[in-house]
Amino acid sequence: MRPYVLRRLALAVPTLGLVSVIVFSIMRLMPGDVVIRMVEGHAYAPTIDALRRELGLDRPAWVQYADWIGGIVLRGDFGTSFWTRQPIWDEFIQRFPVTLELAALTILASVVIGVLVGIVSAIRQDSAADYLGRVLAILALSVPYFGLAVLVVVLPSIYFKWTPIWTYVPLSTSPLENLKIMLVPALVFGVTRAGPIMRIMRSALLDILRQDYIRTAWSKGLPERAIVLRHALKNALIPVVSLIGLQTPLYIGGSVIIEAIFRLPGVGLFFFEALTRLDYPVVQSVNLIIATMVVGLNLAIDLSYAFLDPRIRYR
Amino acid sequence: MGRRSGSAVHAVIVLVGFLALLPGPDALAQTPKRGGVLRIADREAPNLDPHLAVSFLTHSWASMVYSQLVRFPYGPEQKHPADFAIVPDLAEKWKYESPTSVVFTLRKGVRFHNKPPVDGREVTADDVKYSVERFMAKSGFRSRLEPVQSVEVVDRYSVRMTLKEPYAPLLNHLANAAYVVILPREVEEKLKDFNRPEAMIGTGPFMVKSYQKGVQIAFERNPDYFMKGVPYLDGVVIEITPDSTARVSLLRAGKVDLGHMWGYLAPEEAKSVKQTNPEIVMTPVVTIGQGMIYMRSDQPPFNDVRVRRAMALAIDRTGWNDSVLYGEGCTDAGPVPCAMKEWKLEASKIEPAKAKYLVGYDPVEAKRLLAEAGHRNGFTTPMFHWPGYAPPWRTYFDLAGDNLGKIGVAVEFKPEEYGKYISTTYLGKYEKMAMGPITPFTEVDDWLYSAFFPEQPNNRSHVADAELNKMLLAQRREMDPKKRLAIVHDIQRYLADKAYYVYTPHSPQYVSHVPAVKGMKYHDGFGLGPRLMFTWLDK
Repeated sequence: MRPYVLRRLALAVPTLGLVSVIVFSIMRLMPGDVVIRMVEGHAYAPTIDALRRELGLDRPAWVQYADWIGGIVLRGDFGTSFWTRQPIWDEFIQRFPVTLELAALTILASVVIGVLVGIVSAIRQDSAADYLGRVLAILALSVPYFGLAVLVVVLPSIYFKWTPIWTYVPLSTSPLENLKIMLVPALVFGVTRAGPIMRIMRSALLDILRQDYIRTAWSKGLPERAIVLRHALKNALIPVVSLIGLQTPLYIGGSVIIEAIFRLPGVGLFFFEALTRLDYPVVQSVNLIIATMVVGLNLAIDLSYAFLDPRIRYR
Repeated sequence: MGRRSGSAVHAVIVLVGFLALLPGPDALAQTPKRGGVLRIADREAPNLDPHLAVSFLTHSWASMVYSQLVRFPYGPEQKHPADFAIVPDLAEKWKYESPTSVVFTLRKGVRFHNKPPVDGREVTADDVKYSVERFMAKSGFRSRLEPVQSVEVVDRYSVRMTLKEPYAPLLNHLANAAYVVILPREVEEKLKDFNRPEAMIGTGPFMVKSYQKGVQIAFERNPDYFMKGVPYLDGVVIEITPDSTARVSLLRAGKVDLGHMWGYLAPEEAKSVKQTNPEIVMTPVVTIGQGMIYMRSDQPPFNDVRVRRAMALAIDRTGWNDSVLYGEGCTDAGPVPCAMKEWKLEASKIEPAKAKYLVGYDPVEAKRLLAEAGHRNGFTTPMFHWPGYAPPWRTYFDLAGDNLGKIGVAVEFKPEEYGKYISTTYLGKYEKMAMGPITPFTEVDDWLYSAFFPEQPNNRSHVADAELNKMLLAQRREMDPKKRLAIVHDIQRYLADKAYYVYTPHSPQYVSHVPAVKGMKYHDGFGLGPRLMFTWLDK
């Protein structure tokens, strides 16, 4: 197991190196000039040149890249935002708990909804409940989360003069107030992400329920509850866990819009604002941090297979 | 009539007279009340350093905390929303010793907020010199003070500004909340920079109480503010809300008093909100602003004035105004914006044969002009634009394409990503033709010199007109307001039939707030602080 982990970790280094080069290049290839964007319609030549020098953008691209990546590797310095002039790591750490909490609650909501409906759909195959579950899954797949979020914010404000947006309170200050704020965005986001989980759960469970060992369990006279929950569910969850792993970047990506609509001061919003402002260091560093997390998470998911299915062993 | 009844009559007359002298219920309702916290939903300022940032969000926040040498009139002081008269702020008076030398005399006893490291120290001429020089060295707007040669401290309360040449826009620029706010000189040294909430120490009507990044910034009343009796509010909270839909929902749900720092709602939004929330107070205002079609007047076919005139006559401004702006917009939108009443020479006061190129609609004449210019079958032109502008712009782009198509000018729409648009097309780096709104300014020079003088980044039509240049320079060097106004009017007369820009009708904004907000008069300047210092809550 240990050599496998070490090999995977070693593989992560070139992956992240490649990510850093791609992100750095894409930002430079994006149309527009951050310096002119910063001074917008008031761009007078002396200011533009001075600002470009001040931000280090007058240097060759490879020097800028080496400076950025060198800072991270050698000093753990992720750089400073062009716009806010604040260290990126400080702001990331300050905002990350919000996004993490949103992602965790979203995953929880999507898993609870997706797995429950998936189970019911599978064990009651071709019943009214199954059809309803499948219709809901298709609906959840086809409704964009940002559209649903806008509806949830706007409609109650029109019809009931109420809107589920509050001033953000950190979890550490008041868990109850925090949950009140996070619940609606997590549910909105979670419902739309529950669709694929529902579909995968249903098909995986149907497949498992037709296996020999399940038939044996039935023939032993075990109750349905024990067969489904103790024998079938654990194996059927493997593709679901893989799916959640694959969807992780979507949870971060989706947080961009959800955080903007629900006024949540998370990383998604930080990233989105940086992207629209062409704030190169922020986009690069946040991307790299998130990529590192995704690589780490995928590794953790690979390792979790061993727990879920003892037949899986690493050499 | 006996003596007793005579006394009774007198008593009644006195009583009636006394009652008549008492303020009526309306007047009582309009007496400002102290207290309450005003809540606003708007976006977050990207940076807190008022000199380094060029964002209006930063300047609006800064105007809560900092003062200037002079400022514009707000609230009960202002005559109209674009009143850019100059009134004292930290400087109680100023005197031109010559056209190139002005001395500002500071109010005595004005103290910075009582926060470390400044601890309520008195403002002196050294702070003014430091702030003006810092602005001139670091600000993205520093070209506004480019004619300033030096700033010297005359004594503890007097500062002299010496100019390279007479410069009429100086006081307006000093009064603009987006430019030279007065900072305490020791903060940069002791707190490293101004880009932190604890460094926001000024002499303004409010002080920073707390700042949660991405969540809200809270201001509280400055108890030592040098204008006695104001602000009325105990505090102001800006709930950071990046999404415009969410801002309107917060207003609808009564969670904020204003859904925008100026209270803006677009006409469509306003009409929709009025249906669900009839109690919301809405005032349509024609704000300072402008939108236009701009053309490369240095390249064919737009270097031919007949082609530009044809473009101007092709646009059905009244039709646009009626169909898109509910007839509430302003169709005479350039070259000086509708709202700048002091400087504007209305088209109705210009010779009709020339004014028609500003406000007229005559597609037949437009076709004739095109034919005369050798484009009998019209021509094709790209139209660069950013499709993300708020309404009515998306409709405007389509309408422009439609109107121009009717005279034979086929428009190829060239939508651009914002970053590219703002750093190329918006600065005049495009081919043939583009369209869009421009940043509002408070000084008439910015609408004329910046838009028409060669090499200026806002000269999007690449105008190079020697005769015009003389007038543009003359108006900024003329220190006599009446003479300057005459030149500005001459410029508008001159520009009318040149059609360097084709101005589109300017949309009104609905300044909207909950009924409890009182005394908040709309002003086009960036001074959120002075605007709110006269605002009060009737809760």
